[in-house]
Amino acid sequence: MLLRGLLASVETGVNRVLRLDSTALARLRPLTGKVIAVRGSSPTVQLFILPSDEGLMLAAEWAADADCTLRAPTSTLLRLTLSKDKSAVLHSPQVDLEGDSAALMALAAVLQDLELDWEYELSRWIGPVPTALIGGHLRSRANWYQQGFASLNQNLAEYLSEEARTLVGEREAQARFEQIDRLKLDLDRLEARVERLSRSLKPSDHA
Amino acid sequence: MTDQRKGSDAEPTTHFGFKNVPESQKADKVAEVFHSVAGKYDLMNDVLSGGMHRLWKRFTIELSGVRPGNKVLDIAGGTGDLARKFSQLVGPTGHVVLADINASMLKVGRDRLLDKGVAGNIEFVQADAEKLPFPDNHFDCVTIAFGLRNVTHKEDALRSMLRVLKPGGRLLVLEFSKPTNALMSKVYDAYSFAFMPMVGKLVLNDADSYRYLAESIRMHPNQETLKSMMVEAGFDRVTYHNMTSGIVALHRGIKP
Repeated sequence: MLLRGLLASVETGVNRVLRLDSTALARLRPLTGKVIAVRGSSPTVQLFILPSDEGLMLAAEWAADADCTLRAPTSTLLRLTLSKDKSAVLHSPQVDLEGDSAALMALAAVLQDLELDWEYELSRWIGPVPTALIGGHLRSRANWYQQGFASLNQNLAEYLSEEARTLVGEREAQARFEQIDRLKLDLDRLEARVERLSRSLKPSDHA
Repeated sequence: MTDQRKGSDAEPTTHFGFKNVPESQKADKVAEVFHSVAGKYDLMNDVLSGGMHRLWKRFTIELSGVRPGNKVLDIAGGTGDLARKFSQLVGPTGHVVLADINASMLKVGRDRLLDKGVAGNIEFVQADAEKLPFPDNHFDCVTIAFGLRNVTHKEDALRSMLRVLKPGGRLLVLEFSKPTNALMSKVYDAYSFAFMPMVGKLVLNDADSYRYLAESIRMHPNQETLKSMMVEAGFDRVTYHNMTSGIVALHRGIKP
């Protein structure tokens, strides 16, 4: 019952998030009726996902056969949940897919493309005008912080590589790597030439 | 546990909570209880079970194995918790029937589901579980959640459910049962005979309905008895799952 309680809470949270995206539920509609089984190993976990245009239903067990079964180590499943590029994780060799994989791929695509309209949700609680004010304020703050971090990042990199000389600059490192590559090629050529000369100085076996 | 049926000279009696009443009166008395509680049925369920009834019903849905296109009958469907989920699972090609003997409960359930936009593949039928007005071999799944204990002739109801199920179809009976833990049993007794009528009095000004609820739970067959009743009715592969230390049990049987 504890697991079911946990799944019910997660389900409520996930569906609330899905409703913040204007297209997610519509994109889930064609998946209605599909049963996706997720089985993790070490530690063993099992979960059934039933998508529909009302969101996702999460079940600890399901009496009917699954349309698609995903088997993977639990750590990989966690990575799949957190990863932005879910398709890449699904195509990794540790992941085993059985049945109608298109359903799972479609679900992964919906989750990957989520664009949450948090302003709409906020406006339902506090109204459109305060939401617009808060939204504008937060956006300008976010831009300011973004620019500030980018600028700090650039200045710090320049200071460490150009002024303090603690780190080697990227261009300088690139030039040094190219020199090393050239030197390596020159050495290879020299070695080949010495080899050829030593062979020509040796008396021939047929002489 | 069978209902008491006396000789032909006197009307057979059955239990209504801890009292014995003539069989013909039980349905009316149960109806009175549910007419009284229908309006706040969901609220009271949440308050009295601490929300646990949602998890018990969730497990019922998981074990139903309902698929798109299935026909599902939810008997004593009350305010439509299970029927709503089934309607979503069977999709536009399936069909759900929410049946309840009590007009007030059925009305609350119908209004609630229509308000939530559940329509198209769902039908509301006032029906007696003992004499289901549906053809033989019709449903893929039949459920009865917290309703069987209120039925006068449980054996007749189980046979009626078997009749309307397709071969291979599932019956799921979610019902209060007997706690498996002695300590839990004592706590549960104190809770149901003292706390439940008190809450009934505070919220609905009706302690008697909730006293009946507690008594009817004690009079309901325990896990093994209900299992053997289902086997006797003709169900195959009958199993049950205890939940919350056996306070509630989910029985499942398959029509051979």
